[in-house]
Amino acid sequence: MGKFLIIILILLIISGIVFYIFSNSGPALTTHPGASQLKVTAADDDVQKLTSEIEKKGWIVYCARSDNETWDLFASRPDGSNTRNITNTPDYEEAGPMFSRDNQQLLFRRLKKGTTINHDLWGFEGQLMIASADGSNAKPIGADKEYAWASWSPDGKSILCLTRKDIQIIDLSTMEIKRTIPRNGIYQQLFWSPNGKWFTGTGNISGKQWCVVRMDAESGQINPIITFQSCTPDWGPDSNHIIFSSRPANQSASNSYGWSQLYLADGEGKQIDLIYGEDGSHIYGGTLAPDSAYALFTKCAADGGGAEQSGAPMCIMRMSDSPAITGESPYLQEHYPNAKNAPILTLSNGWEPIWTYAEVFSEK
Amino acid sequence: MITTWHCTKKFFTLIPVLLLMFCICCSPKPDSGEDAQVTSKGSFEVTAQLMEIPEPFPDIPLYDYAFVLKYKVLTKHRGDLDSEIIYIGHYNPLKARNKVADVRSGDIGGNLKKFKAGDIHRMALEVNIDDFFMGGIINKYFEQETGPIYWAVWTNRVIQ
Repeated sequence: MGKFLIIILILLIISGIVFYIFSNSGPALTTHPGASQLKVTAADDDVQKLTSEIEKKGWIVYCARSDNETWDLFASRPDGSNTRNITNTPDYEEAGPMFSRDNQQLLFRRLKKGTTINHDLWGFEGQLMIASADGSNAKPIGADKEYAWASWSPDGKSILCLTRKDIQIIDLSTMEIKRTIPRNGIYQQLFWSPNGKWFTGTGNISGKQWCVVRMDAESGQINPIITFQSCTPDWGPDSNHIIFSSRPANQSASNSYGWSQLYLADGEGKQIDLIYGEDGSHIYGGTLAPDSAYALFTKCAADGGGAEQSGAPMCIMRMSDSPAITGESPYLQEHYPNAKNAPILTLSNGWEPIWTYAEVFSEK
Repeated sequence: MITTWHCTKKFFTLIPVLLLMFCICCSPKPDSGEDAQVTSKGSFEVTAQLMEIPEPFPDIPLYDYAFVLKYKVLTKHRGDLDSEIIYIGHYNPLKARNKVADVRSGDIGGNLKKFKAGDIHRMALEVNIDDFFMGGIINKYFEQETGPIYWAVWTNRVIQ
């Protein structure tokens, strides 16, 4: 009888060890140099299907805290596997990666070690860096605080940036100003559409701040997309849609001023649709996958997206599952009664993630 | 013989005098607001009275903004202003002016601690605000004829 109990005990220990090993060896759980280990947190069937669907769809790049506690740039497969630190600079903080449209180059900002990355001021701060798409050959462009809110031209040969007086287009081969356009109230988060016809940014309209606007790249004329508490716009790959975060008024929220959700608008600002919202989280950093089939974003309990701390969980969902709401979220449920409880793939902490389908990194 | 009544009467007679002296001693000294910064920064310099605060300043420390305020110009020190009523954008008005400057605002400041309707400020200004400040602007006068919106570079309190 005693021997039988010992055998049962040994079998239990062995099965425990086996379970531990296998539960930590899925495709989305990888070693990660830093605090932001990637893992799927909602392991139901739908999330697993989503994970399988996207696991080989290119790469995501994002900034996150590294082992050395500074912000570095990381890359991984969209399911969180194959993570690697692509800058690995313990003497600097790095943030705001952006692939050129041809996926050949990567632009980001490099700040002095110890600088707090402010969610609204980071585009003004530090030095602009341009590297190969895999993060190698990083070179500084200009001086500290120069080329504020720089982003790519459609052909990757110029950058678009903001000065207090105007928008400037800078030729990267000569660093000469090719063109200036009055900024017409745009004050941050400026991006050029893939087809070259439009800019989008966050600006002032009619005495109101935090409006998302579209600007005609030729005439400089502005049309508002949304004129209340909105920011972090980015272009959809079709150049006809803008993804952004917005915090509607009068939410019956559990905090003092409501939660920020992720929305998609057409370029005229006539049609605005919820992508994802969740009471208890601010949804920021939204970007669409290169085929517009998925949205990548961060969700953070603290407003600002966690830039001042260690980022926030990055998430991926299918656009075909939008509008999607997690949790009770009474304001959202009332306004979007047909919203789904969509599968959301939750990844590690990061900030301002981007997505390419190009194979800019090799598998480990 | 000096009675208690006489003492009490004299004491009560002295109270207004003592109060007046107390007020004189404690009231702040007149200050024109002039200093090296306000007289040299910006393209304009005025002494002006803050006419109103149209609504409470948003108190969300996470977000920076400029708030447009309406002033009546009392004295023009520098620059050519053609209106007696001007509109001035102040950066993060809930902060003391000597602690308000950051990467977004550039070099601004002053000794004003708090904005209060009716107070008089001596200010160095630039115009137009959009050429000097790249950030959110709350302008409750937007649909009124305001003329250019000035940007407050330096703001000192004036005590008359």
